[in-house]
Amino acid sequence: MTTAKSGAALQPIPRVGLTWLLVAQLLVVLPHLGHLPLWIVGLWLGCAAWHIQIFRMRAPYPNGWIKAGLMLGTGFGVYLSRGGLIGLEAGVVLLIAAFILKLVEMRSRRDALVVIFLGFFALATAGLFEDGILAALYYLLPLAALLAALIGLQQSALAADPWATLRLAGSLLLQAAPLMLLLFLFFPRIEPLWSLPGPRERGVTGLSDSMTPGDIAELGQSGALAFRASFEGPLPERSRLYWRALTLEHFDGRRWSQVPEAAQVEPPLWEKRGAPLAYSIVMQPSNRPWLYSLDVAEGGPDDARLLADFRLQQRRPVTRPQLYRLTSWPDAQREPEGSVPALQRALQLPERGNPQSRAWAAELRRRHPEPEALVQALLGHFGREAFHYTLKPPRLGRDSVDEFLFATRRGFCEHFSSAMTFVLRAAGIPARVVTGYQGGEFNPAGNYLLVHQFDAHAWVEYWQPPRGWTTVDPTFQVAPERIERGLQQALGEEQGFLEEAPLSLARYRSIDWLNRLRLSWDNLNYGWQRWVLGYQGEQQMQVLRSWFGKADLRLLGLTAVAAVAATLLLVALWLFKPWRREGDAQQRLFQRFEKLLARHGLYRAPGEGPRAFAERAAQRLPDHAGAIRTFVELFEAQRYGGQQGAPGELGRALRQLRRALPWRSGEE
Amino acid sequence: MRARLESCLQSIDRVLLGKELQVRLALTCLLARGHLLLEDLPGMGKTTLSHALARVLGLGFQRIQFTADLLPGDILGTSVFDKESAQFVFHPGPIFCELILADEINRATPKSQSALLEAMEEGQVTIEGATRPLPSPFFVIATQNPVTQGGTFALPESQLDRFLMRLSLGYPARAAEKALLLAGSGRQRLPELEPVLDHAALAAIQAEIPRVRVSDALVDYVLRLVEATRSQPQFAWGLSPRGSLALLAAARAWAYLAGRDYVIPEDVQAVLPAVAGHRLRERADPAGQGGGTLVQWLLREVAAV
Repeated sequence: MTTAKSGAALQPIPRVGLTWLLVAQLLVVLPHLGHLPLWIVGLWLGCAAWHIQIFRMRAPYPNGWIKAGLMLGTGFGVYLSRGGLIGLEAGVVLLIAAFILKLVEMRSRRDALVVIFLGFFALATAGLFEDGILAALYYLLPLAALLAALIGLQQSALAADPWATLRLAGSLLLQAAPLMLLLFLFFPRIEPLWSLPGPRERGVTGLSDSMTPGDIAELGQSGALAFRASFEGPLPERSRLYWRALTLEHFDGRRWSQVPEAAQVEPPLWEKRGAPLAYSIVMQPSNRPWLYSLDVAEGGPDDARLLADFRLQQRRPVTRPQLYRLTSWPDAQREPEGSVPALQRALQLPERGNPQSRAWAAELRRRHPEPEALVQALLGHFGREAFHYTLKPPRLGRDSVDEFLFATRRGFCEHFSSAMTFVLRAAGIPARVVTGYQGGEFNPAGNYLLVHQFDAHAWVEYWQPPRGWTTVDPTFQVAPERIERGLQQALGEEQGFLEEAPLSLARYRSIDWLNRLRLSWDNLNYGWQRWVLGYQGEQQMQVLRSWFGKADLRLLGLTAVAAVAATLLLVALWLFKPWRREGDAQQRLFQRFEKLLARHGLYRAPGEGPRAFAERAAQRLPDHAGAIRTFVELFEAQRYGGQQGAPGELGRALRQLRRALPWRSGEE
Repeated sequence: MRARLESCLQSIDRVLLGKELQVRLALTCLLARGHLLLEDLPGMGKTTLSHALARVLGLGFQRIQFTADLLPGDILGTSVFDKESAQFVFHPGPIFCELILADEINRATPKSQSALLEAMEEGQVTIEGATRPLPSPFFVIATQNPVTQGGTFALPESQLDRFLMRLSLGYPARAAEKALLLAGSGRQRLPELEPVLDHAALAAIQAEIPRVRVSDALVDYVLRLVEATRSQPQFAWGLSPRGSLALLAAARAWAYLAGRDYVIPEDVQAVLPAVAGHRLRERADPAGQGGGTLVQWLLREVAAV
């Protein structure tokens, strides 16, 4: 509110400052448009027009009633459009609304300062929603405009060139860049004490924690990125790239889901065998806590652990792009002993339903008493019979496995894996469904693997001593090219790959230059995520450790503070160049004299001459009038009378005065 | 010598009560060889001051009353045909005198005004082809009523610039006016004034004033003042080099009067309102009466040390 009537507070807003403030506001609101209700844009246009009219003296400032009405109306609007006033989304809308509404009652420089600071804050919140490399580059624009507004506020009302102000803001930003780099490198990333709610994902696709027929086929329509992976060694064969996300053990006749026990029991027993694979993954936000890994993984973030069903999970959901490093042993032996509860879970079947499949399983069991032979026979069945791999499987009813195995025979990976697991369980072999991603697209530009949502996959693992859990993929029998070359090739021409996403660049892989452009751009983004966004926590420590050896956080903090202080000192030295200041001994002594008297509340106005000041001081400090007059007369004689007295004489007079004067006026 | 100057001041103060500062400034102006413009309402003692100065300094005194029908010849003089010698004989006008009071200068036409102002600037007059020098010393004290009054021709800026100082006497203080009312008008006591200085002494003093020391640091202060008038937005225009020279000359005379042989910033500040006031205009009011507030701003804001 602008009721404060102090002179400084009511300084008017200069024209240049106002211009840049309006530009900055537009630039700050723009990146928020994607998640703001439309009426906010109308509100901004209205408020900006109103303020311009106020500035041209064509409109009055709003009175209290109008302000209260606007405030209540906006709050109500936020409540209606965001279903509440709490949470990140509603909070950001409220912030932007406040940022906009403050414009109409902005009268003085102080108000404009509030608007500018709100703008900086609103800009920071935009980073919560979009932190890509283009967005980061864009944020420099509103930043420069806000700085220009800040500078414009301090300029005289006569300054008329907004570009000069912008240039100054730009050079300020440039000068801040080294400091920013330093802070980026050294400033410790402190985890927030409370969990910051991430933006609610709208329509972001990804694996869910259960699987019904048709779920993964739906994912196959999405060209969105799931994660990127870089291997330290050579890239393994495609057919070995089974990225596990979840293990589904409970079947209710239609839906496969996780069992809660898997998260609670002891970590599984496994033996490292064969050559390890080292790789790092940058995961896109999934809002789920599980991490993607190849079997069997070790490492990852500090709070990640391997659960009993071999999935990797961390405490918090992945709400931001997250980088983690893993080492996997693909040939490891998994639970060779087996644990009774785990095997019991892997044999669970609903009590009723799918009678045909159960009967068939019993028959298979009769024909192949050896479990391994049974598995091979089952796989062979999928390969031999007329099963069809398709993104658009027919809808299945209650006995989904029966209908698929004996009637429709058209399905996507979840149909095959679900049916196989069901039959194996019915035949008494412990088995479960694994969901995740398979394969990925190799990006030669950056030597890494791109895994999209359409690479989502489901497969089967069964347990037999002495090997423990073994992975099999029935889809491979039906559509080997899906595993060997990828979904687009497996679907062939007749089925539209990504036909619901005409704008997805991944759809146009056949156009060579476009494909290369897409991959290069992705490589750039990947670098940004890995080296800029992912530079925190463990990675930061690793880099600092490689530079400074043993990383001591306190030492690093001190180093950072010292480095910043040293930089500022250097800049200050460079700006003020104290060694070039001419030595005016008389003036310096006079300044010391002034400082001495300032302790007694005597301040010289800039236009006050030495003698007038001395007279004033002598009246105020009559006990020391003599010493004060002596000094000033000597000063005048030397400075204006041209008497070549040594500066020492003046200094002596000053010292005499200093000895005579008490330290503070109160001690007299 | 300075004691005689002090007694000059005291003598004038006896006639013009309660105006010590203005009297001192007027004397400063004359010592610095400048001309003085007195601007005030009628009856404030302008004429008394001029008379008293002339008497005390032992100067010849002439008064020219400026009116709307005054012609240049009435000021400078004319040639009249003399029957006896059968020749034109020049009859000098009132300007050929050491101290001239040009009363109500803004009532005359610009033509007559400029005749006087030219004489002030050149120190000589040219009449009918012959150049005639004016006496030395030569002072002009011009008075004018504030131009807002009717029937006046305001002096243009270029002519205002010829005056070293512009002073305004203002109403007397209550005590001074009481004394005035009790003791009778100051004009009646003018004949009591004895000359304190003569031509030679005055010339000697005037020759000494340029030797008053002006240090580097002080010139810097004067430059800061002048630069402020030229760069700050509230000034319609800045002080000219003639203005800064005038400032320094007046400050020297002031320091001399104060008994010092060097100038300090306070000397500059003391003469600044009188020297700069009529040379400055506010940008917001370029036709206005001048820079009282501007001078106050200069005194307050420009760093003195």
